[in-house]
Amino acid sequence: MDNLKEELKKHIIEQLNLEDVRVEDIADSDLLFDQSGLGLDSIDALELIVLLEKFYGIQVTKPEEGKEAFRSIETMAQYIRKRKTAV
Amino acid sequence: MFYISAASGITHQPTFQNVGFSNSIGTVSVGSELISPNYKDYIDAGLLRRMSKILRMSVACAEDCVRQAAIHQPDSIVVGTGLGCLHDTEKFLNTFLTVEGLLPPTSFIQSTHNTIAGQISLSIGNHGYNMTHTQNTLSFEQALTDTMMLLAEEDNHVLVGAADEYIPFLDVIKEELELMAPVALTSGSSFFIASKEKSEQTLAIITDVETVGLVVDVSSAIDSFLSKNDMSPSSLDLVLFSGADIGVCGKVLHFLTAHGVNEDKIVDYLPFSGIYPTASAFALHYVIDKLGQDKNLTNVLICNCLNKKNLGLILVQSCEA
Repeated sequence: MDNLKEELKKHIIEQLNLEDVRVEDIADSDLLFDQSGLGLDSIDALELIVLLEKFYGIQVTKPEEGKEAFRSIETMAQYIRKRKTAV
Repeated sequence: MFYISAASGITHQPTFQNVGFSNSIGTVSVGSELISPNYKDYIDAGLLRRMSKILRMSVACAEDCVRQAAIHQPDSIVVGTGLGCLHDTEKFLNTFLTVEGLLPPTSFIQSTHNTIAGQISLSIGNHGYNMTHTQNTLSFEQALTDTMMLLAEEDNHVLVGAADEYIPFLDVIKEELELMAPVALTSGSSFFIASKEKSEQTLAIITDVETVGLVVDVSSAIDSFLSKNDMSPSSLDLVLFSGADIGVCGKVLHFLTAHGVNEDKIVDYLPFSGIYPTASAFALHYVIDKLGQDKNLTNVLICNCLNKKNLGLILVQSCEA
């Protein structure tokens, strides 16, 4: 089990108040901003930016980076690892 | 003058989708809960998850009103709120004070007073006039006044209502708010469809609405309001009244009783609604329900003197008037 991905799912559920969603309901590859996945919207995107800074100390300064990073749990975890390694 | 075609409320009383609730209400006691519906039946899950209590209550009541009136869309949405979205305001300010770095956007976006009317508009897909009135304890009466003007112009149906929510911090500052608080501070939401024309859906007539800020001569204000509508105090069948026999409320009470209104026709609605700045919207819902239940009632006056500096007057009549 990948701890970072599980942790991310917990933070997202809590931060975005996804009342009926459990960690096991979110697949690593689910599209976060698509109705086939979590169906998040633009306000949620802002919440995810805050989440990355709050829990991982990462500031998303380039919008195009965020677009790719927030595609799925998988890509978010990759983005966090990449940014952490770069420090 | 305009007509009420639908009414809905979420309060401590069984007001939601319950015609005849006025026969079975009791006083709000410490610890009593709001009687809420299953919000998922009225609000899209994607919107619901980030809504605070005041937004949930307001959007559910608004949806219920539109369904009851069986109209496609109201021409306008008008909301009165004394203190707005307090829960989100408090959440945002606490985060602002304690968190360094970026602040979560949701509570900031939803902390403004006009979030209520905005969320209703988003929920029902309405693109018409969207207005919020915040005038302390006269917010609901101001919303009704705006509604009356809209219906006198081009609108046919206006969704009008009021909501306020309680947070524990209000108990700390209630003196500063100048609210009389003989009963508990609480939350409530009541919405209505106001229509230009009378129809089979009509529940009651709003004959007139008036607000008097910084009221000086209470007796003259009530007397002139009733005279303007060709009425006298003795022609009132019921008076819904907020408060006790002190200050402005005392003057209202003395004026009414001195001019032929029996005390048993004067009902203090605050023990039933609890106290919040727009509790007069609950009073209107109560009156509308009461008019439907008791055919002997024709003329009803709602006197809102919750804040000792303000006087709100709403004259309601039965459909037969």
